[in-house]
Amino acid sequence: MSLNKKLMKQLLTIFMVFVALTSFAQQKIVSGTVTSKTTGQPLAGVTVHLGKSTVTTDANGKFSIPATAGETINLSFIGMNNLNYKVTESSQDINLVMEEGASELNAVVVTGYKSERKVDLTGAVSVVNLTPVKNQVVSSPMLALQGRVPGLYIQTDGSPTGANGGAPTILVRGIGTLNSTNPLYIIDGVPTTKYEDLANLNTGSISSMQVLKDASAASIYGSRAANGVIIVTTKNGSSDDKVHIQLNSSITSQTEKPWQENVLNSEQRGEALWRAAVNDGTDPNSVVDQIYKFDWNGDYNNPVLNKVIIAPFVGATNNNQPPPYDPFTGPFSATDSLEPAASTNWQDALYKPATVIANDLALSAGNSRNGVMIDLGYYHNNGLIEFTNYKRYNARVNGHISTFKDRLKIGENFQLSQTSQINSTTDVGGASTPSLALTLAPTIPLYKTDGTYGGPRGAGYSDRNNPVDMQYLNRFNTRTELVLFGNAYLDLEIVKNLVFHTSVGFDYSDALAENAALIGDEGPVRSFNSLALQDAKEFTFTWSNTLNYNLIRDKSRLNVLIGTEAIKDNINAFGASNTNFALQTADYLQLSAGSGTQTTNGSATGYRLLSQFGKLFYSYSDRYLASVTVRRDGSSRFGANNQYGIFPAFTLGWRINNEDFFKNVKNVSNLKLRAGVGTVGNQQALSNTGPLTLFQPNYGTASPTYPQWLNIGTAYDLGGLNTGTLPSGFVQVQEGNPNLKWESSTETNLGLDFGFLNETITGSFDYFIKKTKDILIPPPIPGVLGEGQNTVVNGANMNDWGWEALLSYNHRTNSGLNFNITANASHFQNKITSIPDSYRSYFVGDANHSIVGHSPQSIFGYETNGIFQTSKEAQDAPFQPGAQDGALQGAGRLRYVDLNGNDTIDVNDQTWLGNTLPKLEYGLRIDIDYKNWDFSIFGSGVAGKTGFDPTKFFNDFVDQRNNFGPGTLNAWTPQNTGSGIPALSLLNHNGEDRNSNFYYVNASYFKIRNVTIGYNLPKSIASSIKMESLRIYVMGNNLIAFKSKEYTAKDPERANTFDLWPVPTSYTFGINVNF
Amino acid sequence: MKYTSIKILLAAVIVLSMGCKKYLDYKPQGAVSASDLTSPTAADGLATAAYAGIANDWWDAPITSMWEYGSIRSDDAYKGGGAIGDQQQMDKYEQFYLVNSSNNGAGDFGFPGTWIRAYGAISRINNALRALNNLTDADFPERTTRIGEMHFLRGHMYFLLKDLFRNIPWFDETLTNDEIVKVPNTMSNDSLWEKIAGDFQVAINDLPETQPGQPGRANKLAAEAYLAKVRLYQAYTQDDGYNVTGIDQQKLQDVITLTDDVINSGVYALNPDFAYDFLYGYDNSPESIFAIQYSINDGTAIGGRLGMSTSLNYFAGAPQYGCCAFHVPSQNLVNAFQTDSRGLPLDSILNPTDKDFNDFYLGDNDLTPTGVTVDPRIDHTIGIQSHPFKYDAAIPYDHSWERLAGTYGGFGTMKELQLASCPCFKKLGPFYGTSVNMDVIRYDDVLLMKAEAEIKLGDANAALPLINQVRARAAQISPLVKKADGTYPSNYKIDVYKPGVNIPVWNTTTAFEALMWERRMEFAMEGYRFFDLVRWGIAAPTLNAFFAKEKTRHAFLSSAQFTHGTHEYFPIPQEQITVTNGLYTQNHGY
Repeated sequence: MSLNKKLMKQLLTIFMVFVALTSFAQQKIVSGTVTSKTTGQPLAGVTVHLGKSTVTTDANGKFSIPATAGETINLSFIGMNNLNYKVTESSQDINLVMEEGASELNAVVVTGYKSERKVDLTGAVSVVNLTPVKNQVVSSPMLALQGRVPGLYIQTDGSPTGANGGAPTILVRGIGTLNSTNPLYIIDGVPTTKYEDLANLNTGSISSMQVLKDASAASIYGSRAANGVIIVTTKNGSSDDKVHIQLNSSITSQTEKPWQENVLNSEQRGEALWRAAVNDGTDPNSVVDQIYKFDWNGDYNNPVLNKVIIAPFVGATNNNQPPPYDPFTGPFSATDSLEPAASTNWQDALYKPATVIANDLALSAGNSRNGVMIDLGYYHNNGLIEFTNYKRYNARVNGHISTFKDRLKIGENFQLSQTSQINSTTDVGGASTPSLALTLAPTIPLYKTDGTYGGPRGAGYSDRNNPVDMQYLNRFNTRTELVLFGNAYLDLEIVKNLVFHTSVGFDYSDALAENAALIGDEGPVRSFNSLALQDAKEFTFTWSNTLNYNLIRDKSRLNVLIGTEAIKDNINAFGASNTNFALQTADYLQLSAGSGTQTTNGSATGYRLLSQFGKLFYSYSDRYLASVTVRRDGSSRFGANNQYGIFPAFTLGWRINNEDFFKNVKNVSNLKLRAGVGTVGNQQALSNTGPLTLFQPNYGTASPTYPQWLNIGTAYDLGGLNTGTLPSGFVQVQEGNPNLKWESSTETNLGLDFGFLNETITGSFDYFIKKTKDILIPPPIPGVLGEGQNTVVNGANMNDWGWEALLSYNHRTNSGLNFNITANASHFQNKITSIPDSYRSYFVGDANHSIVGHSPQSIFGYETNGIFQTSKEAQDAPFQPGAQDGALQGAGRLRYVDLNGNDTIDVNDQTWLGNTLPKLEYGLRIDIDYKNWDFSIFGSGVAGKTGFDPTKFFNDFVDQRNNFGPGTLNAWTPQNTGSGIPALSLLNHNGEDRNSNFYYVNASYFKIRNVTIGYNLPKSIASSIKMESLRIYVMGNNLIAFKSKEYTAKDPERANTFDLWPVPTSYTFGINVNF
Repeated sequence: MKYTSIKILLAAVIVLSMGCKKYLDYKPQGAVSASDLTSPTAADGLATAAYAGIANDWWDAPITSMWEYGSIRSDDAYKGGGAIGDQQQMDKYEQFYLVNSSNNGAGDFGFPGTWIRAYGAISRINNALRALNNLTDADFPERTTRIGEMHFLRGHMYFLLKDLFRNIPWFDETLTNDEIVKVPNTMSNDSLWEKIAGDFQVAINDLPETQPGQPGRANKLAAEAYLAKVRLYQAYTQDDGYNVTGIDQQKLQDVITLTDDVINSGVYALNPDFAYDFLYGYDNSPESIFAIQYSINDGTAIGGRLGMSTSLNYFAGAPQYGCCAFHVPSQNLVNAFQTDSRGLPLDSILNPTDKDFNDFYLGDNDLTPTGVTVDPRIDHTIGIQSHPFKYDAAIPYDHSWERLAGTYGGFGTMKELQLASCPCFKKLGPFYGTSVNMDVIRYDDVLLMKAEAEIKLGDANAALPLINQVRARAAQISPLVKKADGTYPSNYKIDVYKPGVNIPVWNTTTAFEALMWERRMEFAMEGYRFFDLVRWGIAAPTLNAFFAKEKTRHAFLSSAQFTHGTHEYFPIPQEQITVTNGLYTQNHGY
């Protein structure tokens, strides 16, 4: 007790010093009460300013200030328009009513353990306009922001979560490091790097979202803020003594049809294979003779194909019949498992229209002191791909009470969510079902004649599986996750203007993944079934404490914040599996029901972070703004030597429009220059076990990644018993690096905010340069060092620079027509400035082409220069190994450029082919509302991008086992010399799949992402049915893409790989009701 | 609660939030640091892990079965699979085109991955040796034996690397990581052989003759057999253009001494039936001197430490399998099994006629008792239409099992495969694994190594009984290959060499031809062939002659060409040169 008293005394002494800075003049005292026009409630904390005196209103909105008649009292309060009151002789107990600010400038944003007025911001902070995104039918609020915030890049696929169960790519200001680029999320003050914590929020329950882009803004969040910070604040209870109920409900239909790739049918595929065999000078009838035969003239110089004969049967599996066996003649006996050949479009088979239902019910109640907000959500997407599913239930309760004359506020924000999902899967060899929907041979039937799934059985086919069957066999593989996220907090005004805030944050997740590998009917899928359950529980505890002091004196405003934060994270995982289940039903598939081999596994890991931080903000006369931030972070992931990192930042702001010399410039309503420099750290590349050299017993764990049948274990059958428990040992799994230190980025940001014509035109521009040093990378390990040498080193330095711009035009006409046009654009570039030589193979390039000076997103490869038109051309060209093989002797083959002039095309002829970063990313939105109608259209795109076209190879080259695209039907032949597609060949002796500029094309595009039309029921009608308002709307998403002709993939966003789900076109009908 | 109490609470909170220094201490769970691994148990565990290390692979980059590097690169087999481009790195190896240091398959596929895995095993071995060296025999009675075993395993891995890449960096457990990354690959060919031999010599000194109850472990005799193999390879002196420039008589003498030890020990012998070398139930038979031990239902995550290096080789069209039909016997190999009326090989290896059977797909008349005569080992090695597959008369081999018969023909590989009904068999993903061991050195190999040394030492007569011992076993027709009706599927005719009776001249030339032929028959499809040809210095003429004839049968080989002085060895993987800042010198021709 005595200790506490002593401490209290000391603390009070410190605070008294601050308090003493505020002096009170002893003159005539004018007193009054300030209330809000909207709520009628008194406003506490309003700044009342007169001459040299500044006071703030108390909890009852009351104030007293010395004044003399004729002077003007100025009232300001965040979120409210400023109010001037001229003091008269009779002024006493005046009632002043403040109106909520119409201008965004007065908006309050949370920027780092406290709120700030937007006008006071000095860093690069984007405040997200939530209005246009709140009805987007997406599984996460983040996905609704795609293309809407300058400098925020979001890439998704068409799966319900945007990344087939994982986190979509979210980049703030591009790629500034070589490891994890995940931003830090701050939800109601609780930091997290787990995307699900944000994804589980209902957009309707969010009151504000900010994106802190530059280091000067983000540095208060320290070590995890290097990739930007996204701050989300959820709604509170209402303060108007009323109960509000809001219901948002929608139904959406999705289809991938408009984005389907063109594939060949069974006959066309045969034709292309025939052409390839003829080009190679091989007998087409021996190419895939179990599937195709060709009626042709047999003349390799002037080939004419009369007819493609497709084997009428698939599934040549008769093992008891004498030769000659021939799938063209049909089954030999009733026991043969031959099936009629088909012409299957596997995209049509795999995809179906999906229905998405989204419901969000929010209830809020409260008064000026206490409030509660309850939000219930239900989201269900029944999956574009057969047998997939995504479902989420969530419930949020936010509440707070104030007591001790509003000096103490206690509250909580908690959300419980449960998600369950069945995602797209892979076949037993690891090929994704979306890619199989393109590449599986069309002759395979979807169903066999007995109604079970068909598959690639028999000669001539690939070892891939029927993707629909794979999804069917995957139908029990639900991943369910329960997440409890939130915090309890306490705000205490210790003395006037000094607020202590403590928050205890919890993030608990329990994820259970079920993996039932079933035996299918299609053919050679599995010889036994198995069930594996894997459970991971993660608990993150965040405790943060801050002291926040506000001082306003004369024209000076000072804010001091100091705080500490401690984060403890523990993950416990365990799993079990069993095999040989007699029945393959959902009910029966429980671990104990299996009769085969049982295995278990388990692991535990975690990390700790401990931080101290402080921020000082000073503003003079609302013209000059300055802030200093320092954060010191400690992480358990570093060795004792470099455990702590210190991250400072400094910013300046100049509100030019408040200058006297600007008073006469009426057309400029806001003009602010910002400059900041700050440093942030990064430790996300490090594992929780940090810098230690570790050995592990590894009894029989197969490789954790594909291929699962690669044994990496330490057990071995020394006794030669062939079965049973094996002796086992230890293997090194990690090489330590005790000298690891923090990766750090120092960023300089220059920004300009402007508003013209009374904020009719508003916008901002930011330019940044970022230097990242000591980037944590896992260096390539020389093979001679052997296993378990994986480590992380501070290996590379990198520079980034770019700009972002936002421009908005608002117009209101007297006739009631309002419209708003908002455009955003950003540009980003990066390059590696230094890297140790031995780490060079971590990147593309070779001995003569160092990545230094180039972007890590650089493309490296061969240059092509058209197609050899004659075999003589091929002979006269620099020697190109393999190019002259086949009957055409080089005619029709790709010509590679002999860059090093040694008259041979070899590995040293590679060079930089550009990089895949776009020159410009941009978005454009138009909102129009007229009387009861509203309309909006939104599109975004990229320009100046050279990208890998995933369709190029698929469309232009034949594959003996798989299907391919229709480009092959227009490939080069001696008769079709104009084609840009090389002559078809089954040999590929020219190595045309090598990385070359043949595959990189102009990948610029613009997409109309969203069109919405809404209708508000007239107030009179709404109120007659007891509603405050009712809006119905229809919306279309992902409607049209404009792209360059060179880019052959239908969807320019389906970049690099067909493993991603196509992004569907969707149509939504929805209602917003307020009671 | 009074407001003052709130303030007191606040003070307490502030004190607590100062945190404590220990807060950032976090110990890893379920792992140990290097300094904890000092006990005998731990050192023994590291040795066990080293054994696991020499077996941890699958077909993408094998370090166990050498079918991808030794069989399809030779005249024994084609790549097979679903298309020419299916596992295209193997197509490049098979046809010797565009084989270069950095362009042979994605990721770790192919020889770059084999380099990494073999050195991965060496790192396990060196870790074990470091721990064992720090103990005393008093601490750990098995210490010396374990040290011997580790040297054996290291010799094995370096031999494999040398066979594939020739010029490799060699180092032992005395070097630190910082030193290891500075070891170049410029040691002379002979010194490198000496280093490898040195490991086996330590093993011979340290190991007991047998290790009862521990057949998975190396013993002294295994080390002698392996050292004999090293000395045999070393005896063919090779210049830097990969020409065989001479024969080192002393090394051959070592081969004789070492193989005699093994032969005279009485521990090892030929199995009575050739089938037992490739069949479930005969692991660690008297013929198996050192083998990779596989196991099934051993509690490991995928249900067994199974041999996955050959799992591509099951048949795509067979109902009991479904994938992937790689490693297809060549027509040339099938032809090679023909025997003449004396029961001797029809061809000489140096002057082959490579005479075809009548039909592209062998017909009923070819290999039945009415057709041509063949070496009985054909029905252990090659799947032939309507002949029992893998000793199961109920399952005749069918050409429709092949996946791309139009390209690669209709024969099937058999030695490395097991029946789907075998308790040793498991389907994993699209592939298959078995728990049947993979022999590294067998007794038949020891006999033929000794025979080869005798011939090269000029004593053809000493080689005769050795070769004939192998042939005599082959002539014991296995009842297991019988068809359902009790007849044999082929018309077998095989005899031992009888100078003056069935072979007019038995001198070092004819004996060497007989030896080369015998090795081909005995080890067909086992991945030895390419390395034999390179050792003998005849890879280029043999393979180019093979391609010239074989492309008339299989068009896909139309531009295959072997370049002498280059293709005998793989290039040093470019990635390894890059990560070591150009430390390694690239092999000749790449």
